[in-house]
Amino acid sequence: MPPNSAGGAIVVPPATGLAVRAKVGLVRAWPFLPAGLMLALLFLVPMAVMVVFSLWRTTPDFDIVPDWTLDNYAYFFNTPTYVRTLLKTLIMAAAVTAAGIAAAFPFAYFLVRYVSPRWQRAVLLAVIVPFWTSYLLRAYAWQAILGPKGALNQLLTGIGVTDEPSRLFIYDNPGVWLVLVYVYFPFAALAIYASLEKFDFTQLNAAQDLGARPDQALLHILLPQVRPGLITACIFVFIPILGEFLTPALVGGTEGLLIANLIVNFFRGLQYTTMAAFCFIIAALVTVLLVIFRRYLQVEDVVART
Amino acid sequence: MTGIGAGRLAIELIEATKRYGETIALDGVSLGIEPGEFFCLLGPSGCGKTTTLNLIGGFIPLTAGELRIEGRRVNDLPPHRRNVNTVFQNYALFPHMTVAQNVAFGLRMARLDGRETERRVAEYLDLVGLSALRARSPAQLSGGQQQRVALARALARRPAVLLLDEPLGALDLKLRKQMQVELSRIQRQVGTTFVFVTHDQEEALSMATRIAVMSDGRVVQSGTPREIYYRPVDRFVADFIGESNFLEGHLAADGGARRVRFRDGGAVIVPSELPVGLARAGAVTLMVRPECVSVGTTAPEGQWATLTGRVINVAFLGNHTRVTVQTAAGAVVTLRPHSEGSRSAALDGLLDQEVCVWWSPQESTVVASDTGGGADGSLA
Ligand SMILES: Nc1ncnc2c1ncn2[C@@H]1O[C@H](COP(=O)(O)OP(=O)(O)OP(=O)(O)O)[C@@H](O)[C@H]1O
Ligand SMILES: [Mg+2]
Repeated sequence: MPPNSAGGAIVVPPATGLAVRAKVGLVRAWPFLPAGLMLALLFLVPMAVMVVFSLWRTTPDFDIVPDWTLDNYAYFFNTPTYVRTLLKTLIMAAAVTAAGIAAAFPFAYFLVRYVSPRWQRAVLLAVIVPFWTSYLLRAYAWQAILGPKGALNQLLTGIGVTDEPSRLFIYDNPGVWLVLVYVYFPFAALAIYASLEKFDFTQLNAAQDLGARPDQALLHILLPQVRPGLITACIFVFIPILGEFLTPALVGGTEGLLIANLIVNFFRGLQYTTMAAFCFIIAALVTVLLVIFRRYLQVEDVVART
Repeated sequence: MTGIGAGRLAIELIEATKRYGETIALDGVSLGIEPGEFFCLLGPSGCGKTTTLNLIGGFIPLTAGELRIEGRRVNDLPPHRRNVNTVFQNYALFPHMTVAQNVAFGLRMARLDGRETERRVAEYLDLVGLSALRARSPAQLSGGQQQRVALARALARRPAVLLLDEPLGALDLKLRKQMQVELSRIQRQVGTTFVFVTHDQEEALSMATRIAVMSDGRVVQSGTPREIYYRPVDRFVADFIGESNFLEGHLAADGGARRVRFRDGGAVIVPSELPVGLARAGAVTLMVRPECVSVGTTAPEGQWATLTGRVINVAFLGNHTRVTVQTAAGAVVTLRPHSEGSRSAALDGLLDQEVCVWWSPQESTVVASDTGGGADGSLA
């Protein structure tokens, strides 16, 4: 289109245009200012401090001295226990994510498909009610349920399944897994519900009409369209578990500790430089995982549906 | 049943009944649809049209009765194993697939090889005129285009029967007319049996080879558009399809010819063939279409059903003039077309005049007044 003939539109000369655009850009940016400031002061600055700490050294007298070194990182990778705990944490996170989604998907599916909208809201409310109680209280409650003198053992001995209280449920990995599934189920359920809610179920009829078995209809038609919800569920469950320390501390015993518990120990032991390095190893891992998840969550998935 | 020919029916419903708890959505419907027909299910909202289609498609089970597709009982066959395909009212296109992938889906499920799938996708996109848009996603199509994709997707499997549930309901009037012509062309071209649901009588009349008029879960009448229009079995059908004059009277034998006698005087000759059960005298409704009624100052000679009365209204409707005449039998509406020679100005002069209205007895229909009818297209 030749300039100055743009159907009556005002044509701004390029130089002025740029200046104006820059000014407009600044004016438009102000809504981001508070959030930007907060991010800078409360996130970026502490992060920078941590980066520096992770490359310094703590003396035996707990003084932090600016000796630039990678020893803190090397320490992690050279200590089998730490590497093993990190691997176990990853497996735990994967197991909780798998169980959470396995429970949340059918739950959300039946809720959306067969429950009237009014009841749906009631059920969703019931799902998020636990959030009104503090996490700490809920973890203690589980300790009371699963412990040697807990409700579960009393029930089992009461009906004669076991003779004496079992320690199977607590102070080990299965107990941690169970409680984490309980804690993270609502996140998975809400994420999957949100994406299923938009799904038009006559598509499943259409797929079957076109010769797909019910399982094929789910696989080829439903699953690709709720993938964003599934991936969000994965992110909401998997990543926070890498930082979980409360549940393992309360119901995990010595066997059930996760990587965050080690980090907390370094913190309590005033080993800030080692702690900072460990934190960055996990942060790097989370970043890599998010990039992987993002590859599966393409923007088109969201746009194509509108 | 108005049988066209012997041989296997494409669809056969035998005493098909569907209940939802207390509600009877379909009440002992028997229906036969011949191969190659363009069959319309027509009726007011809630009469059971969608239910009938869903039963045939296999999305809901029958409560009682039997359903046959191509002669085979399929009551318990799941949808993916029935040789029918559906064009859904909201199209139900798969938003995460392109137009071509949508059309290919049914072929993939049938495990057609890649080359044949590709060939058929091209063939059916061409049939509906969408070859150029094959790479688009459904969200990038207009309503009419989505409709065509749904049609191509269902036809590509070459089913014995194509089911269409008010497929034009979501389109605006102009596009609707255009798609009616298009659908008829496609149906003739592929020769597949179409079962088409609509509550638009004009759509049914213009496209169908046969129509089943439904009411309250029953088929009230089935027959060709002409049969339904000119020989409605009861007042409901006559009222639902087009406009009709309903004249209440008594059937009486007057020597040789039978007549309907009206309470306030006057009588008209009735068709020589009357529905079964109407042979004896009784309260009847005589129905005659407005366009079959002529109006003039003097009635012509011959075997006409004639009434006299006063013109109470003349309305110019563009291509027609509508004249309402108050007679002893009630108000009679006539619809006179305009053509060269017959000018509406002549009809305008009739207002407040004493006139005659007349029609050929064969173009009127008589049904018993109080019964709801329910015969299956059979006029004795
Ligand atoms: N799932 C259901 N549960 C209960 N009743 C139903 C159900 N589906 C349909 N009905 C009832 O069955 C009857 C027939 O419904 P159907 O959907 O077949 O009507 P229709 O002729 O397609 O009407 P429309 O022109 O409004 O689409 C209605 O009275 C309806 O309320
Ligand atoms: Mg319907």
